Order: sequence, then C-alpha cells, then structure tokens
Amino acid sequence: MKVKAKVKNGVVSVKAMAKHDMWTYDIAEKKTGDRNNANFITHIDAKIADKVVFDASTSQFLSKNPIFKFKVKGDFKKGDPIVMTWVDLKGNTKSKKTKLK
Amino acid sequence: MQRRTFLSMAAGAFALAAVPASVRAEDFRKSKPTVWTAKSVEDAMKAMYGKTDTVKDGVTVVAPDVASNGGAVPVDVKSDIDAKTVAIFQNVNPEAAVIVYDLNEYSVIDFSIKIKMKASGTITAVVEGKDGKLYSGSKTLDVALGGCEG
Repeated sequence: MKVKAKVKNGVVSVKAMAKHDMWTYDIAEKKTGDRNNANFITHIDAKIADKVVFDASTSQFLSKNPIFKFKVKGDFKKGDPIVMTWVDLKGNTKSKKTKLK
Repeated sequence: MQRRTFLSMAAGAFALAAVPASVRAEDFRKSKPTVWTAKSVEDAMKAMYGKTDTVKDGVTVVAPDVASNGGAVPVDVKSDIDAKTVAIFQNVNPEAAVIVYDLNEYSVIDFSIKIKMKASGTITAVVEGKDGKLYSGSKTLDVALGGCEG
C-alpha cells in the first residue's frame, strides 16, 4: 500500500493506493471456475495521531489496486503519523505507516 | 491443497483476531450485511437506511461522461452537508453497493474512488445527513468496456 498525505491550512489531503487484485465473484468464476476464490478489500481505515479520521466499508466493485482519496479537517501537523489499514474478505490485512508532509 | 487451504484460513483467523475491535468505527459489512447482497439500488438503500426517498440536492457526483475502461471508473463525491455516512451505489453490477464511508468529526465530504462498472449505467451517491434526511446526487455515464469479468 502506498500512502501520501499532505497538510495545508488545517486540511490533510490523503491519497492511498491499496495493492489488491479485487477479484469479484464473476472474475473468480471465470479465472478459476470457483466463485469462492473471490477476494476483495472489505474495510479500510486511516488514523492520524491515533485518531480515526477515515473509515469505509467496501464491496467487490472497487477497481483493481483501488486508489482512495479523501480529505480530513483537524488540528494535525506536519510529521504526525498516519496509519492506513485494510482488511479483505479472506481476513488478510495490511498496514502502512507514514508521516504527514 | 488441503493443507494450503487450512494454512490460509488459520492466517486469516489470526489476522482478524489481531485487529483490535476499537479500530472499527462501524463495519457496515457486519452491522448491515443485507446492504451488500441487495441487487438494486432501492433495495440496498432500504437495507441501509430503511427508506428510499431522498432530497436530490446538495450532493455532487463527478464521473466521466464516457468511461473507456469499466474496470476503473473514477468517481468524485462532494457535499457540504453535515452528515453521518456517505454511500455510493450503481445500478449495473450484480449488486448495488460499492462503498460506504462512515464519517467522523474530522471528515470532509470530498472523496475520490475508482470503481468497476459492468455496463453503462448510473452512479448514485447518498449522503445521510445528521438531520435524518437522505440527500442524493447521481451521474449517468457510458461505459465502453465493462469491467466486471477481469
């Protein structure tokens, strides 16, 4: 996962790319013959300085390697840590930690 | 093969257990599972909010008029409404729900996401205001190449 976050005038702009194949049930059936091989991100969240600032439940219809862009308003400064975590259907999880720029 | 399945299941179970419950503000896949299996936008909205009547104002949905690749259609949702949740639905894939954002005190409704569209159709964004009303915006677009079969 790649995460970029910038602070400007009290607004944090975040751009994150989760590396994930995002197989829908249809793709899984076509490629492997078994719908149960579908796997996609089901939940993603972001925390800045240990505060949850972004939280989304997702379905199979996000693109492959989906890019999430969002903005956050709050008293955050350059150098504050941001952690983004996703969980997929099979229970795999991945986190990425970086700092606000 | 069986061993591999077992191992991946064990790893999955461990990963789930390792994520502390406090991280979740609200996981709508668990709290409202029927939203994700609903076939139509109306059914998904009913499952999510218990109603389907929306104020068609105050929500901007930006997407290209013609998407060349249905596998990655960029969608922007913007709004100034003081809201609890933002959900994106579409009416061409096997199920309607795409993503539900759970908002908090820091949120600004200015989201961009890339979604899959199987065919030409309409993307609807619903903003659940703190006043209890639903606000929606939509965008109808042409998809040149459907994106659900990989």
